[in-house]
Amino acid sequence: MTAGPRLFSILRQGPYLIASIHTALDDSQLVRFQEDLIDQIGRYRARGVVIDVAALDVLDSFASRMLRDIGEMARLRGAATVVVGIQPDVAFTMVRLGMDTGSVATALDLEEGLSSLERLMNASPGRRT
Amino acid sequence: MPAAEPAGGTQQGSGSPDVAALIPLVRRIVTARVPDQATADDLVQETLARVLAASGRLESGTLEPYAIVTARNVVTSLWRDQDRQRRHQHRVVDLRPPEAPDEDVLVQEDRAAIAQALSRLSDREREILLAHEVAGRDTRSLAAELGSTAGAVAAQLNRSRARLRVEYLLAAERIEPPTEQCRPVLLAISGGDRRRQRDVDAARHLLECEACGRLSEPLMGRGRTRDDEVRVPVRKDADVVAARHVARELATRLDFSPTDLTLIATAVSELARNIVRFADVGEIVVELLEAPRRGIKVVARDAGPGIDDLDRALLDGYSTYRGLGLGLPGARRLMDEFGIASESGRGTTVTMIKWRDEP
Repeated sequence: MTAGPRLFSILRQGPYLIASIHTALDDSQLVRFQEDLIDQIGRYRARGVVIDVAALDVLDSFASRMLRDIGEMARLRGAATVVVGIQPDVAFTMVRLGMDTGSVATALDLEEGLSSLERLMNASPGRRT
Repeated sequence: MPAAEPAGGTQQGSGSPDVAALIPLVRRIVTARVPDQATADDLVQETLARVLAASGRLESGTLEPYAIVTARNVVTSLWRDQDRQRRHQHRVVDLRPPEAPDEDVLVQEDRAAIAQALSRLSDREREILLAHEVAGRDTRSLAAELGSTAGAVAAQLNRSRARLRVEYLLAAERIEPPTEQCRPVLLAISGGDRRRQRDVDAARHLLECEACGRLSEPLMGRGRTRDDEVRVPVRKDADVVAARHVARELATRLDFSPTDLTLIATAVSELARNIVRFADVGEIVVELLEAPRRGIKVVARDAGPGIDDLDRALLDGYSTYRGLGLGLPGARRLMDEFGIASESGRGTTVTMIKWRDEP
């Protein structure tokens, strides 16, 4: 991170990572977010990731694509991803734009996101430690 | 009383030599405390002056201790002063930049540029302009002299000023306009004449002509400022965020619903990204419309390579970079009106409108 306020934070919460985006990110910052997150999934051996996008007022085609890619990459690294906090207007716009985000799991808020991860973990006991 | 008289007299008489004898002593005390030679000299002088002034009131034999104490006091008050100054230093900081040594030269260059610009006006234009601006003649008396109306003279003056601004910039930057189109475009911008700007297609020329792009910046603020139109230059990733922020801010003024605000911001985001990806240089102009209906118009203009196959670019899922291929078709779905013009090698202009009231 360069100087200035942090644009996003990635925190550990047990076996999960909670990634919060704090402000509107431009494309290169989104790419950085993606790289950081994928890197930390490996470093902390995370089993699940919650991405909180409640602060984003726009999820355009590039940002949606990024979220989809993160979900896919995290899956390949053995972690489940849940996107939480998509605002109602943003959801409306994403549908109008015609974006296909079906492969990304979503939940209403952080709490729902974490319990949804719990359920996923219990359902697939493949990688318990 | 009479007894005191001779005593005072002797002291006065022998006072000065005594004080003079004290100089080495005082100097030693002061220099031990103050390293700076010049300051030390000043303090020695001041101590001696005080001792001299007081010598009349002093009993003999106390002169030396008095001088020692005085010297110490003088030094102490110097320290106290310095300390106070240090504490208050931040209050007297002078933030004005020091006068640069090249200022004179710059003023001269400025004068030369003005003179050159004036020389490029026609004689008639120059005469009227100087009569009004320098001699202070009002438009009515000028009109009477020229057999014209005050309004016509004022309009003529406005045109002359616009021309003068352009010629001054060209002279100051030592630029000869690279194309035939440059001067008319700059003139239209300098005059703040929007119809003229459209006629000469000023916006496109500014994107294509680097010299004019730079020169036009100081001219842009001229003319009637409009707060219902915002222009965002788009070059890098961060500008995409800035553009959609501007669009949202402006749209808020028309009381668009939160959903519509998001739709507009997202559409602007898509177009701005296309500029960054494909064209390097471009701009987004967001304008509020009042008549015939209220709405917001977004024009995304770039001087990029252009789009060869427009029909394909508007198809869902057609992407030339790793996007979703939703940029143009997506933006079209989000807005009410959508128009695109592209010319190979000259760039692309996308115009889209979101109406405030549902049709």
